[in-house]
Amino acid sequence: MLFNSLQFAVFFPLVAALCFAVPHRMRTPLLLAASCFFYMAFIPVYILILFVTIGIDYVAGIYIEKSGGAARKALLVMSIVSTCAVLFVFKYFNFFTGGFIGLANLAGWRLPSVGAHIILPIGLSFHTFQSLSYVIEVYMRRQKAETNLVTYATYVMFFPQLVAGPIERPQNLIHQFKEEHPFDYDRITSGLKRMAWGFFKKLVVADRLSLYVTDVYAAPSNFNGLQLSIATVFFAYQIYCDFSGYSDIAIGAARVLGFRLIENFDTPYRSRSISEFWHRWHISLSTWFRDYVYYPLGGNRVPLARWVLNIMVTFAISGLWHGANWTYVVWGLLNGFYLLAGRAGAGFRDRVFGAGGLDKNGPFRAGISVLTTFFLVCIGWVVFRARNVGDAAYVLTHFFRNWNIHNISTDHFELRQMPVALMSLLVLEVAQVAARKLSLADMVARVPLIPRWAGYFALVFLVILFGVFRKTQFIYFQF
Amino acid sequence: MKAPRRDIKRIIGFFCTGGLLAVGLHLLIGFGLKRVNASDAGAFNRAMSGRVNAQVIVCGSSRAYRHYDPRIIHAVTGKTAFNLARNGSHTDVQMAVLQAYLRHNAKPELVVENLDMHSFTLTPQDEIYAPVQYVPYLNEPQLFQALLQINPRVWKWKYIPLYGYVVEDVNLGWMYGLAALAGVHPREDHFDGFCPMDKTWNGDFDRFKAMHPDGVGFGVPSNGVRVLEELIQTCQSNQIPILLVYSPQYCEMLDLVTNRAVVFAKFRDIADHYGVPFWDYSQSQYCSNRDLFYNSQHLNARGAEAFSRDLANRLLSLPQAPASRQARLALTQTR
Repeated sequence: MLFNSLQFAVFFPLVAALCFAVPHRMRTPLLLAASCFFYMAFIPVYILILFVTIGIDYVAGIYIEKSGGAARKALLVMSIVSTCAVLFVFKYFNFFTGGFIGLANLAGWRLPSVGAHIILPIGLSFHTFQSLSYVIEVYMRRQKAETNLVTYATYVMFFPQLVAGPIERPQNLIHQFKEEHPFDYDRITSGLKRMAWGFFKKLVVADRLSLYVTDVYAAPSNFNGLQLSIATVFFAYQIYCDFSGYSDIAIGAARVLGFRLIENFDTPYRSRSISEFWHRWHISLSTWFRDYVYYPLGGNRVPLARWVLNIMVTFAISGLWHGANWTYVVWGLLNGFYLLAGRAGAGFRDRVFGAGGLDKNGPFRAGISVLTTFFLVCIGWVVFRARNVGDAAYVLTHFFRNWNIHNISTDHFELRQMPVALMSLLVLEVAQVAARKLSLADMVARVPLIPRWAGYFALVFLVILFGVFRKTQFIYFQF
Repeated sequence: MKAPRRDIKRIIGFFCTGGLLAVGLHLLIGFGLKRVNASDAGAFNRAMSGRVNAQVIVCGSSRAYRHYDPRIIHAVTGKTAFNLARNGSHTDVQMAVLQAYLRHNAKPELVVENLDMHSFTLTPQDEIYAPVQYVPYLNEPQLFQALLQINPRVWKWKYIPLYGYVVEDVNLGWMYGLAALAGVHPREDHFDGFCPMDKTWNGDFDRFKAMHPDGVGFGVPSNGVRVLEELIQTCQSNQIPILLVYSPQYCEMLDLVTNRAVVFAKFRDIADHYGVPFWDYSQSQYCSNRDLFYNSQHLNARGAEAFSRDLANRLLSLPQAPASRQARLALTQTR
């Protein structure tokens, strides 16, 4: 079920109302049933995959806690391998077999294609990672094994964050299923406002910009340099608003039900370096890779060459997590390279800026750093968004060629949509700055009821009238 | 328990108020869209509100929309004409629009149905073109039923406030409705429903040809054939003569059609079966002149002028149908 669907508009109020109506002991089973229904709205049979993953890690968690020494480690490895095997079959089978056959053909062996037509279960990478974090945390003795199957299954399947995160840690979420969450007007309205803001990002910004991006990136050679540049900047905002919009809706929906999910984004395009960007973008995934891949590899407490390898391996796996395509791997490696280059060039940058008399914390240097980081991120998004490496190379080499200000519309994005798109970006940026500098919630709460409601309705109808309601999935669902 | 009950009432009150506002806005947009007096929406509004009453009506898709100039037909034949073609429509939608037109206007003396390679293809479920134009008129039973058959979700357009305006349309078509309420109308670029395209040949066809080096085929499904037959029967049951026309198409495009003979044979079969004249311009002098087209399917303004003049002159040779009393009355009023 999509958040931006009519079904969800009926489903969510109903589930929320039932949650507050039933006794506390019935809430978790109710949430589990609702989550199953939510997931089955996509492809019903795929829920069996979730059940398999849940079954494996539930049993593994209990036995890992009970055992010690080599057996404990063996159980962990078994659990990780079997959970990842599901991910491999559904997501990477064609990618790896295709790569292997390609290599074999180069060596002169003629192997038949074994490509299978597999539809990727929605959000597979998200719930797989959430499941993995549970067994690893139990193994590390930072989390007690959950003996109640319903509670554990609800932890993996909790519908607000089931298909696109935030990827939760058991320490943050599992205990919340055992706590009572009484009806709280302020919390509920705060959750609804967060959802409304998420819908604005998704429907008004992301999906409007996607009309342009989809046209241009479908056949980049049909468009001039200005259109390629606009499409790339639009994609940067599209993917941010699509994904952070989903996170806002998820966090808001969970808050209505009484749950606190972790924050996933922190205005990433205000970052002054790539390193900072990765602390602000998809935080739940970045920290997952940091804790379960980068640190176990040794982190930065290793010789320089090994540290470089650790960074590149972590980013390559992160790229591959996003999709079974070489463009994602290249994107991951590019970000790893950015990070290393950023660290290596820090001293040089300080000297250059220092020679220009620019204070390290001054606004001018900050502005240059933010713009440079955004530019580098956009280069990465080209690789990420392009259909293949060839298209990415074309876009990157044609950014500044043949600009034609009179030809900026596309088939599905008429010129009259441009002011709406630009205005929505302006609203987004102003609201983000305002939210950082002012205590908006307190200010709004002090406004009398009628003008306050008028403001809420204005936002709601802004979303309804200027939103794009085509049946577009959230970009990150495919991961 | 008192506090939560009061809070629940507030939340419900908020959403009910929002619902009422949505209904109001929906009605306001529909009212405004019906008041648009220029461009495509203006022409459609004239037709749906019974302010056309022309003697010659042209039906069809974008090809008809760009090819038939009612001003020329009127000047040459002396008969009032109106171009009822809907951009991006298939025969099923064209028939529904014609039925709605006949409900509100005087019976025409002639209906010209323009054919193309898609004439036997029904509208795919999610491809009703520019749906916002139909939303204010979903109370028209034939139009509603026809659209519902194409897309079972059409009931939502009618019964869920704002759904038809915002969910099915990404081009902000609702804005025209609100603008019209404020007295702001689009620029007039239509002439009795006809929308000329003052453009020269573009590169679309070259790209199309490169993508389909082995040509393209068009289906002749029985349900598509049935809809075209129903359109003819609708006219005949209303004693309205109907003329089938295949207007000019760029010759290289027709050469790309692998089953062209089959499609044209079906057009002739239907015409013969119902005793309807079929004028085929697919081999005419216009088809080889690129200067008259802006893409392989559509004549530009210059081409449309030449074709309309040719067609109007041929219309003079058609046996005169007795004009209905209403049509004569309308003609008198127009003059």
